[in-house]
Amino acid sequence: MSLRTPLGRVLNHGAARSGVVSHWIVERVTGLALAPLSIWLLVQLLALPASDYASVTTWIAAGWNPVWLTLTVLLAAWHSWQGVQVVVEDYVHGFAAKTLLLLLSAFAHALVAASGVYAILHVAFRSTT
Amino acid sequence: MAEFRLPANSRIDTRAGKHYPAPAGAKQVRVFRVYRFDPAAGGRPRVDSYALDMEQCGPMVLDALLKIKNEVDATLSLRRSCREGICGSCAMNINGVNTLACTRSCAELGSGDIRIYPLPHQPVLKDLVTDLSDFYAQYAAVKPWLKTRTPPPPDRERLQAKDDQLKIDRPSACILCACCSTSCPSYWWNSERYLGPAALLAAYRWIIDSRDEATGERLDMVEDAFRLYRCHTIMNCAEACPKDLNPARAIGHIKQMLAERQH
Repeated sequence: MSLRTPLGRVLNHGAARSGVVSHWIVERVTGLALAPLSIWLLVQLLALPASDYASVTTWIAAGWNPVWLTLTVLLAAWHSWQGVQVVVEDYVHGFAAKTLLLLLSAFAHALVAASGVYAILHVAFRSTT
Repeated sequence: MAEFRLPANSRIDTRAGKHYPAPAGAKQVRVFRVYRFDPAAGGRPRVDSYALDMEQCGPMVLDALLKIKNEVDATLSLRRSCREGICGSCAMNINGVNTLACTRSCAELGSGDIRIYPLPHQPVLKDLVTDLSDFYAQYAAVKPWLKTRTPPPPDRERLQAKDDQLKIDRPSACILCACCSTSCPSYWWNSERYLGPAALLAAYRWIIDSRDEATGERLDMVEDAFRLYRCHTIMNCAEACPKDLNPARAIGHIKQMLAERQH
């Protein structure tokens, strides 16, 4: 049992300050950007003439599509990374478990983002050459 | 890690509850199922049920609880004082909603049994009495008093425009009953680090006070991933507040001010 006062416990190490406002802003800005991008993606996918390999890769490589797709993948990964961080901080309290999960989440999101971008560019450049 | 199962001594012992029948000849019987726990006596908590004759009882839930304490079972513990919704002492969970027992009428709770529990996720001292030490410490932590560097005018009080007074009018009406903070899941999971809606409403009340000169310090104090940003705007606080205040909106304004001073 700790004999520390309740006020001492509440004040603890003080406010972290660093990065918290930008985290909050990033959540919102990426969300804002993803709103039109996800609608675009959904509409485009529904409008595809067929879902076979050739028509999907043709669509990926067409016009500005690789640019919008790259943005969607990067922003979705960034947005999700920020969101998962909040969920972990909400529910996981042990320092070791929390740190491990935050690291895992960061690496997993980086992997998803890199693979997504690589796949889009691979398809796009292959069909233009 | 968030605990999904209550610790053993927090689980209700469903077989231990006592029943107190209504007095003979009672016409309008209503049953009050009340959480009972005495840490000193050991054992698990139980729910006792008290059948009262509502013709012989006042209209509010607090009237019923005091009738039980005075006439049926003197061992029941609860806090109460003003019985008119201004002291905040009789905050408890009634039919699943945090509110004041003195301003919640039995009639508006439908016709079934009335379930009365202490405020959620706080240490129970006895029955309906919880330990609110952390809650009060969080209030103290936001320094809820006027901080200035300019000395007051020698001949009168510090003046405030009517519009500026209006801004603090509602937030000042908080009675610190803890209904909001203890209804907030973020507060349940992180009550040691998240200040909770009540303390943040108090912080806001001083942040927007036109006479206060410590606005920056106050914003610094809440600029923290846990102290402020554990609020995910689910609005349980505004829903629970027996004074119809909106701590969630106040928290939103604080976040907006923090964002505005960045650019």
